[in-house]
Amino acid sequence: MYTIGKLSLLAGVSTDTLRYYEKEGLITPASKTAAGYRLYDDGAARRIRFVKHAQHCGFTLAEIQELLKLKATDRACCQDVRRLAIEKKLRIAHKLRALQAMSRALDDLIERCKDSEKPLDDCPILRALENTLQEVSR
Amino acid sequence: MSVQIEVIAAPGCQKCASVQAELRAAAASVLGEDNLIWREVNVLDELDYAVALRVLTLPAIAVNGELRFASLPTPEQFRAMLARLERR
Repeated sequence: MYTIGKLSLLAGVSTDTLRYYEKEGLITPASKTAAGYRLYDDGAARRIRFVKHAQHCGFTLAEIQELLKLKATDRACCQDVRRLAIEKKLRIAHKLRALQAMSRALDDLIERCKDSEKPLDDCPILRALENTLQEVSR
Repeated sequence: MSVQIEVIAAPGCQKCASVQAELRAAAASVLGEDNLIWREVNVLDELDYAVALRVLTLPAIAVNGELRFASLPTPEQFRAMLARLERR
C-alpha cells in the first residue's frame, strides 16, 4: 500500500494531480489509515501509468474514462477500443487540418509585409487583420 | 439520377457489416438498384477523405459527398432520409 506521497513518487505525478484524478474517478484509494490518510494499491499505480500513456497519445481525461469503462465492461472487445483510437486519430487529423489552414493564413500575412521597416500605422499585417475583422462584422 | 452512399467505418467492424447489409437493402428499395452507388470506405485507407467529410465518429454515412449520419441509423431513419432526397 502506498500513501499519496509514495504513489506520487512511484508514478511520477504530483500529489495535486493524484487528488484531481481521484476527483475525476480515475483512481480510488484502496483504504484509509486510522488517521484518515488515503492508501493506494498497485492497481492505482497501474491506472496512473495507463492514464499517462493514453494522455501521451492525445486522449483527454474524459476519453480516458471512456477507455477505462470499456476495459471494465465484459461485453466490450478490442474492436471497441480500436474504434475509439481511430476516432481520436480522426479528431487529431481535423485539428491538424485547422492548424495547417492557420499556418497558410499566416503565410499570406507574412507575405504582405515584406518591408518590415514600415511604421506601425502602415503595417500590412495589422491592416489586413483589421479589414478581415470588418468583413466578419459586416 | 444516381445517389452515392458511402459508409465510412473502421475495418473489421462486425456491427457495421450486419447493419450495412440492411441499410443497403433499404437504399436499393427506395432508390432502385440502378440508381444506387454504394461504397464502403475504410477510414484508415482514406483518412483524409473522412476528415474532408467532417467525420468524427464511426461508423458514419455520407450521401452524395455530404455527411448525413454520425452513427449508423435505423433502416427506418435511413429510408426517411432517402425519401426526402427523392422528393427534392
